[in-house]
This record gives sequence, structure tokens and C-alpha cells, in this order.
Amino acid sequence: MIMEQCSCCGRKITPYENAVHFPCPNCGDVTIWRCEKCREAGNSYTCIKCDFLGP
Amino acid sequence: MSEKKDDGLKEDFEEDFKEDFEEIEEEEVEEEFIIPVEEKPEEEEVEEMDEEIKQMFLSSGIHIGTKILSGKLRNIHLNHFSASNDFIYRQTNYGLYVLNIRRTEERLHIAAKWIAKFIEEGKTHDESSKIVISSVRRYGKEPIRKFSEVLGKNVIARDIRFVPGSLTNPNMEAYIRNVSLVIIVDPHADKQALKEAKIARIPVLSLIDTDDDLANVDLAIPANNRGKKALGLVFFLLAREVLRLIGQISSDEEFPYNREDFESKIVPIMRE
Ligand SMILES: [Zn+2]
Ligand SMILES: [Zn+2]
Repeated sequence: MIMEQCSCCGRKITPYENAVHFPCPNCGDVTIWRCEKCREAGNSYTCIKCDFLGP
Repeated sequence: MSEKKDDGLKEDFEEDFKEDFEEIEEEEVEEEFIIPVEEKPEEEEVEEMDEEIKQMFLSSGIHIGTKILSGKLRNIHLNHFSASNDFIYRQTNYGLYVLNIRRTEERLHIAAKWIAKFIEEGKTHDESSKIVISSVRRYGKEPIRKFSEVLGKNVIARDIRFVPGSLTNPNMEAYIRNVSLVIIVDPHADKQALKEAKIARIPVLSLIDTDDDLANVDLAIPANNRGKKALGLVFFLLAREVLRLIGQISSDEEFPYNREDFESKIVPIMRE
């Protein structure tokens, strides 16, 4: 099974955490993943394609 | 975290203050708020913004924050290694933080693209996916009702109370199936929706005022989320752009609504 990587911290995301994924709000082409910790902490994520810096 | 109000009275006062401030703002702000901050990095000054849009933003008070700056926004503002997510423009002499309307404008466009994407992708499934939009704030109810009315039945407004379990308990009558995006007006006021979106692992779009935290928010639009005109403008602009992006109108001029249609009709309580 492929484990997704958090777009904020780079950590592998486990199926048991409340992680979230969504299309990059700017380009829409890349799936952004945020692990539970980074999402809760409001940590920034960067799109690997368009460099959009969220949230 | 900010020491944000828990009792209703204090909250009402704050809302009124902000609404009152808007009234003052229209006369005084012209000179007061447009003055650029000296310490701002130079790139801020060269970013052009359409004058008409700028005036529309300023007259709605969309940039007026609060006297509190949340920890996360403060950190980003102080370490301005990247201007693109620094939402703060400056602090006034009254101690009020002012939002950067260039960021607001950018984020409104990005948010519209994002919403349009969820709507388009939602159509390709057997059962259309839903977008849930919640506001328990006084001046947010009308804007989100209008937003849902304009965008159609797959955008569901929760404007009175966010019934616990709406996103997490399939056995409940209030449960909404197949939600692809949750939109909230205020992370504090709409904390039930935010909490359930987290548990249900649904992406969240939220307006962010200077005293709001970014916890569990996946896309933020910096904006005054208490002012009547500001909230009307946000949802008017979002609805119009989303309709254009999904091809229901071909230009902004075809949008058959105006800003006032999105504004709350509640008359603010003016204090002596
Ligand atoms: Zn992470
Ligand atoms: Zn991107």
C-alpha cells in the first residue's frame, strides 16, 4: 500500500489519523495532503507544481 | 490562542463595534488606511491593484481586522520570508490590525477556482457531491443563504445552527452525505462545523480575521468576518466568479445580482 506524504512536513500519513487531501486550490493539478498534526497546527503547505503557499 | 469571547454579550458588543467602525471608516479611512507602512518590504508597493476594486474593498470594510492578532498570523507577519501568506497590512494608531486587501483579492480568486473545481468534480459522480456552508454569525446568515441559492441545490447552507453530527453521524436525520468541501465564515463561531470537517476529513475554506487561528483550515481568505458589508461583498464576489468559472454566466455583467442582495438586512444596533 502506498502511503501518502504530508505536503507540510513530508511525513508519511497513516490511515488512522484525521489527515485531509484536496486538489491544490491554485492550480488544481496536484493533490495536497496534510497530516493531522500539521492541519491542527495550521502549518503551511506548498504545492509542488505551482508553489502555492497555503493555507 | 486568542482570548476570544465566549459570552454572548461581549460578542454582540464586538460585532457592533466593528459595524460602527465601518460607519466611521467610510468617512475617515480614505486618508487613514491607505497610507503604506514604512517597514513594509518594497515588493508590496509595486503590486498593482485595480483602483475600482480597491475602492470597493475599502468601502466595504473588508480589510478591517480586530485589535487582536492571532499567534499564527503574527508569526507569518513577523517572519516575512514570503509575502504571499502574510495577511496583515499594518496596525493603526488605535491598535487595530488592518488586513492586506491584495491578499484578500488573490485569495478570493483562488477560493472561487477551488469551489468551482469541487462543483465540477462533484458532477461526475453518481450522486453529486455537496458543499456545506455554515455561518452562525448574525451578519453571515443572509450571505451564505444567498450563496447557496445562487449556486444551486448541491451547496447546502447551515445558517441557524450547525446540528452536531451533520458531517459525522450517518444515523442522524441532519446528516449530509457525500460532502466534498466545508465553507465557514468564522473558525470560532463555526467551531462545530470545523470540528466535524476535521473528523470527517473534509477540506475547509474559511474567512480569517486577524484574531482567527488557522487550525484545521485548508484555505484561508483574509477578511473582516463580522461586518455586514464585508460579508456581503465576499459572498457576492465568490458566487459571481464561481458561476463564471463553471460556465453558467459568460461575464460578470451577466450576474443578475448586486452586492446588496448578499448583505444581511439586519439593522445594526448603534450605541451612543
Ligand atoms: Zn505534516
Ligand atoms: Zn498548485
